[in-house]
Amino acid sequence: MFKYYLQLAWKSLKATPVVTFLMVTAIALGIASCMGTLTIHHMMSKDPIPEKSQQLFALQLKSYDENQSSWGGFDDGFPSQVTYQDAMNLRRAKVALRQTAMLRTGGAVQVENSDVAPKLEPIRAADSEFFAMFNAPFGYGSTWDKNIDEQPVEVVVIGNKLNNELFGGGNNIGKTIMLNQKNFQIVGILKDWQPSPTFYDLNGGGFGDAEQVFIPFSLLPVHEYPSWGNNSSWKYEEVFTYQDKLASETHWIQYWVELKGDVNIQSYQSYLKAYIEEEQQGGRFTRKDAAADLKNVTHWLNYNEVVSKDNSVLVGLSFLLLVVCLVNTIGLLLAKFLRRAPEIGVRRALGASQTQVFLQHLVEVSLIGFVGGAFGILLTQLSLWLLKSNYSSYESLANMDLTMVLIAPTLAISASVLAGLYPAWKICRTQPSIYLKSQ
Amino acid sequence: MLQMQNINKIYRTELVETHALREFNLTVKEGEFVTVTGPSGSGKTTFLNIAGLLEEISQGKYMLDGVDVVGLKDKELSRLRNEKIGFIFQSFNLIPDLNLFENVDVPLRYRGFSAKERKRRIEEALEKVGLAARMKHLPAQLSGGQQQRVAIARALAGEPKFLLADEPTGNLDSLMARQVMDLLKDINKQGTTIVMVTHDPALARSGQRNIQIVDGQVCDFSQFNRQEFIDSKTENDSSSTQDKVTETSEV
Repeated sequence: MFKYYLQLAWKSLKATPVVTFLMVTAIALGIASCMGTLTIHHMMSKDPIPEKSQQLFALQLKSYDENQSSWGGFDDGFPSQVTYQDAMNLRRAKVALRQTAMLRTGGAVQVENSDVAPKLEPIRAADSEFFAMFNAPFGYGSTWDKNIDEQPVEVVVIGNKLNNELFGGGNNIGKTIMLNQKNFQIVGILKDWQPSPTFYDLNGGGFGDAEQVFIPFSLLPVHEYPSWGNNSSWKYEEVFTYQDKLASETHWIQYWVELKGDVNIQSYQSYLKAYIEEEQQGGRFTRKDAAADLKNVTHWLNYNEVVSKDNSVLVGLSFLLLVVCLVNTIGLLLAKFLRRAPEIGVRRALGASQTQVFLQHLVEVSLIGFVGGAFGILLTQLSLWLLKSNYSSYESLANMDLTMVLIAPTLAISASVLAGLYPAWKICRTQPSIYLKSQ
Repeated sequence: MLQMQNINKIYRTELVETHALREFNLTVKEGEFVTVTGPSGSGKTTFLNIAGLLEEISQGKYMLDGVDVVGLKDKELSRLRNEKIGFIFQSFNLIPDLNLFENVDVPLRYRGFSAKERKRRIEEALEKVGLAARMKHLPAQLSGGQQQRVAIARALAGEPKFLLADEPTGNLDSLMARQVMDLLKDINKQGTTIVMVTHDPALARSGQRNIQIVDGQVCDFSQFNRQEFIDSKTENDSSSTQDKVTETSEV
């Protein structure tokens, strides 16, 4: 019977093209508004590294002055970054399975080929384990030698996009690029890699492009790279030179560790406790309740409110618009179905049960929902494309993945069926004898 | 075939109760051709709707082909209607968006026949009414008489035991009306029980038996006592229904 109902539905839709157009448009608009905001919300809330999100941890230290009850902008009083001194102490200990200190900086990138104009690029200074920790895949070469984390050498890993821009692609391991007019040898070229959000550094909001240039963290004091991220300090210090900054209590370095299993986590926490006690004894940490905290990726994203409340409100509003569209559709469906009451009277007389009439109409509204959903996806794609064209920060967010493409028709059909329930129920309950005499 | 005992049908609104049928008794035997007449508002349509399982009764007993239909659920009533009853209406009631083939197909779809079986039955039924060549036409492309013949084909396609016709010639000219009546008589001769409501006295005589419904009741005309009728009419004047019923013997 489903095929028969589908045939009847198609005939019915063709018979009333204007009403069909209005209903499909209403549903398409409602779906497009929902899917647009939902797609952004979905991409924002997506686990950027599901295979490792429970074993990568952002490290925080609460070591500021005891007289300050809270500092750093978070409710739990832990600042999101660490000082250079702490970063250096922690990375020297090498207790975690993998670890990296890092900083977003930037500089002018040049190659010998004069046809390629120099360009200003953000640069990530990190340790050699950064790529393995965050599953950044190599197309050519690999990360730099571990010794370079201690003994700085001018080596660089570049991204695929920059490799294409500078060299037109291909294996360029061993070639040299200039960063701020200093030669760096390429040791690795990444494949396309764009975690979304860029959870390892949320200073810029987390939805910008991943860097295309990676250099050893150990080069920081050598070339005195400036911070392109947040720098905050809980006390006044006279910072005139780069060395002053390295020795200061300014929090400007991100620190991540990879820990596998509870035992590994507990042993690292014990190490952190011991480190804090050592710093307290040394007189650097004056706070009695100085503490360290580890937050895995999921926790870290929630903690930083990567998906803002505004975004959730927007999703709610778009669903309200869908409801408005559905209410209009209900009205149109009611008018359309009730106009068909005489035909239903005949069908009932010829043996159609109330259930069959009900199902016939639900199939019709499902078809409307399906068509509306299909147009809704097209409208969503158009709106996302417009968003990306006008705001580059939405490049990685305004994309419908398979989940969203599947959700759209499901939502459209469910919403249409919901809208059609009352009209279908109403028409199946009509008394056929009323219409048989008067048709 | 059809047995109605002490049937009452009351329509209730907030202000008034209308007795459309009261203590209504009627038996129609298998293979009979019964015509039903009566003044407007006498309860003919209510009787037809109840006989066709389109309305529920308020009280009484109704057996259709040996099945007690009182209290049956909608699904069972629909199945009975589909399998046992064929309808022919005054205004044909063809579905305008469907062609003749699809119109005749409607009851067969609900019966659950295979596509092959449906096609055979549709072609056979349209052949019987002389419209097999026009099965792809829409109803609007046919004359009134042809439309009624399609409606008859639709009613016959499911091979029902019982045909209910409500003024089947009411919208037709005399020539077409005669053709339709001949077709109904032919169908009846092949064993289908027919109950036909009509206003036309000539058509009323064309059945094997004519019953008259007056005041929502059927009564035996042979036992009719004029004075009793007048007396009872006077008593019943306060009620909302008016007439009394007569049943004539075989024509």
